[in-house]
Amino acid sequence: MQRPGLRILALVTDAFGGHGGIAQYNRDFLSTLAGCEGVGEVIVLPRASVASAGVLPFGVRQLRPVKNRFAFSLAALRTARAHRPIDVVFCGHLFMAPLAAAIAKLLCARLWVQVHGIEAWDALSGLHRRSVESAALVTSVSRYTRRRLLAWVGIDPARVKVLPNTVEPRFQPGPKPGHLLKRHGVCGKKVLMTVSRLASSERYKGHDRVIRALPQVLLEHPDIAYLIVGEGDDRSRLEALAVECDVAEQVRFAGQVPPDELPDYFRLADVFVMPSTGEGFGIVFLEAMATGIRVIGGNQDGSLDALCDGALGTLVDHENCEELASAIRAALDNPTPTGDRTNRFKPHLFMEHLNALHRFLSAQKSDSCAPLPPSMAMNGTAPAVWL
Amino acid sequence: MCGIAGIYAYHYAANAVARPELQRIRDHMAARGPDGVGDWYSQDERVGLGHRRLSIIDLSERGAQPMASADGKLVVTFNGEIYNYRELRASLEARGCVFRSQSDTEVLLHLYAEKGEAMVNELRGMFAFGLWDAEKNALLLARDPYGIKPLYYADDGWTFRFASQVKALLAGGKISRDQEPAGWVGFCLFGSVPEPFTTYQEIRALPAGSTLWIDRVGTHEAKQYFSIADTYCRAEAVRSSASDQDLQLVAREMLLDSVRHHLVADVPVGAFLSSGIDSGALVGLMRDAGQQDIQTVTLAFEEFRGRREDESPLAAKVAAQYGTRHTTRFVTEREFRDDLPRILDAMDQPTIDGINTWFVSKAARELGLKVAISGLGGDELFGGYPSFRDVPLCVRVLAVPGRIPGLGDLTRRVLTGLGRFSQTLNPKAAGLLKYGENYAGAYFLRRGLFMPWELQAVIGADIARLGLQRLDPIRHIDALLKPRPRTSFGRIAVLESSLYMRNQLLRDTDWASMAHSLEVRVPLVDLKLLRNLASITARNGLQSKRLLANSLRVPLPLAVIERPKTGFTTPIQTWLQRDKSIQEWRRVPALAVEKCAWARRWAFQVAVAA
Repeated sequence: MQRPGLRILALVTDAFGGHGGIAQYNRDFLSTLAGCEGVGEVIVLPRASVASAGVLPFGVRQLRPVKNRFAFSLAALRTARAHRPIDVVFCGHLFMAPLAAAIAKLLCARLWVQVHGIEAWDALSGLHRRSVESAALVTSVSRYTRRRLLAWVGIDPARVKVLPNTVEPRFQPGPKPGHLLKRHGVCGKKVLMTVSRLASSERYKGHDRVIRALPQVLLEHPDIAYLIVGEGDDRSRLEALAVECDVAEQVRFAGQVPPDELPDYFRLADVFVMPSTGEGFGIVFLEAMATGIRVIGGNQDGSLDALCDGALGTLVDHENCEELASAIRAALDNPTPTGDRTNRFKPHLFMEHLNALHRFLSAQKSDSCAPLPPSMAMNGTAPAVWL
Repeated sequence: MCGIAGIYAYHYAANAVARPELQRIRDHMAARGPDGVGDWYSQDERVGLGHRRLSIIDLSERGAQPMASADGKLVVTFNGEIYNYRELRASLEARGCVFRSQSDTEVLLHLYAEKGEAMVNELRGMFAFGLWDAEKNALLLARDPYGIKPLYYADDGWTFRFASQVKALLAGGKISRDQEPAGWVGFCLFGSVPEPFTTYQEIRALPAGSTLWIDRVGTHEAKQYFSIADTYCRAEAVRSSASDQDLQLVAREMLLDSVRHHLVADVPVGAFLSSGIDSGALVGLMRDAGQQDIQTVTLAFEEFRGRREDESPLAAKVAAQYGTRHTTRFVTEREFRDDLPRILDAMDQPTIDGINTWFVSKAARELGLKVAISGLGGDELFGGYPSFRDVPLCVRVLAVPGRIPGLGDLTRRVLTGLGRFSQTLNPKAAGLLKYGENYAGAYFLRRGLFMPWELQAVIGADIARLGLQRLDPIRHIDALLKPRPRTSFGRIAVLESSLYMRNQLLRDTDWASMAHSLEVRVPLVDLKLLRNLASITARNGLQSKRLLANSLRVPLPLAVIERPKTGFTTPIQTWLQRDKSIQEWRRVPALAVEKCAWARRWAFQVAVAA
């Protein structure tokens, strides 16, 4: 049964049933949004097909995915028309911003655009820029992405807020799982780990930097292994690089692991290292820190947020191999357990902030609409005159 | 007059305030406040406020800042002067407020407790402050109606920072130095960076006459509480049958009232004196207001000694007329060269002006003054600039041809595409038909430094394109005319006050005087004065300056009143062009042409030095 309150149309790449960081973020976001005060229903239209969306949170309705871009646009328009009144159009990916902006304009609804990372770092078309500029609210996953977006979009910076990733409770500290130690032959070894896709289009992750730093680390820590979790078309290059650097024995490729096993993999490691230059935020850092292991990240992208400017982990210059090796050695030298350091990224804080953003959005002037009356913003039941 | 700073780690994921960072920001402004220093931190270390003090009212420690309310729920860091603080204090005391100091700062705390952010409507003065409201868990920033006092802020999405100077914020070390194309384009077009932009993407100016809330969700949109355009529109709607004599009486009363309020201080108040009507009239009004001992200072140049450009003899005559202790301070080329690196360092944002104010402020400080009155704002209020005549004339003449579709662009293309011949033309000539048919465009032509099509050669194609797209200069100017005054006088007064005076004169006066720990007060830039005189000046038009000249008990010397308006002439441009250490402009062909105005070359040098 539909609850009274604001109705939100969410256009996303994927959410419930999807894989990867963006799908995870969208799930967290949409589930929490549906629980916000004054929100009646969140209608989700995804593009990527999924086997099963699973059990949806109360207040969320996910429609059948539409993969083709043109068909997706038509489906979005049809959905918007069929589910009027729509109060807010949520755009879950920058590439969809023109479509979302057009629907918001047609329905006199507020536009909320989400930006994740690299897709927002460089200027897109004028149409995309103007679409984002028409948004009542833009949320960015990190300060870095926000800054890069503001370099090419002329929107009032007050409308661009940061809503970082949150971390699931299943990521908790625990002993090293014996079966994984055996599976990867790392019993008695200190384990360095990176978790990410091994895509040739995502070489910014920094696996090769870690491999090149290993010989220096081995001088002081000969008993280490570097476990690379994830699969992709760049694996062969990394394997060749490990041979070239004479560390093939230490580098282990775990391949893609089932999501359920991921917390155990993090527990297997002593240090999570990903000197990336292309992270929108880097949720894997949070997952690693939640399991109590030390983390090392790059100092030039969204990793700064995940590691809180170095308060939660070590930030290194990606171009400085010596600095990376030194940071790894320091992390290995320090055996003190860190415990879960992700208190400031827990779901209840994410929820509180999203609630506040929702209230902020309700108070915003839109280009084509008046602000929502406070009674409606808080209690729902929008009168037709507003739509 | 002081330096203020603050940090609010508002986002739940942000690190707590780093005290050394706040102290770096605060202490970068040591010259703004050499008499005292203070900071305050909330218990949870999420908020920090800092202050550098130049003591002028209540010199005791009780006036130190940041200042907290008795219950500790409100804390303020404040820069400026509230000229009506005694009236406000009396009224608050009558309603039961108990004061612990004699300072105007404490009035802010009580007034906020009573009226919330609407308090800004009660304030008469120049101010910029940050006020922490612990109950709301929110920070309020406010800036005076004209923008006399600066206030800059940066919000990175987690942490909000503010300060009186852009360079102070940068000194904290946590703010991105990414450049803002709109700020650079604005500087090249206008000679100063138009607010709210700065030359840094992350740093913005709080617009004049605005308030800004920052709470746990971050920065809210700035709210404008005062508009000069609106004031002129209201004034024009007033129909008055008063005689010229009555209006003159009103003008005198209001001018005297403003000057009297601007003399409130616990230290001596001096005055800058030139040979113009504005500064001379203010000295006369200071005398009329009852100030017996007046220290005046005039800037003069060795090159001009004994020549027509030398203003000092006439200024000395004015000083003698009103019996002031007068000093003429000569500046030499040698001193200018010695000071130039410090001038460029103190220049908070790029500007083509401010050097005169640097030297006259230096002179005033050498005389031991902490406060000086300036005639700034007289030309905006009383229509003293040629723009009051030229811009309406341009609009009248070009209204019809300028509206022929495509003609403006075509003319511009033809006139800028004629090779060497184009270089001999004044660049503005090519823009006459494109811009001259409306007030925003014609004003841009009058005040413009470079034209948009010249920017590529000066600052590069990418930054020029992005900056023009974001600033949209004509729309930026036109937005200031909303609501649109009916009279041409009102429109030009709005534009001169909101652009040239705000972004250039007032800002330059702030950095150049504060570098010498001198507070400059501007009685002709006063909200109450504007509200009372706007209807009169809009009616009198170009004759309005007489109102000022005729307001004195002892009239100004006739030579001052009859002297034609020439602007303040200095040999600085000659010195700059001779200085071999600043010749980078020669690399740009458009600047190397013989007829190029020195201001355009200087602008380029300033940009290179920034």
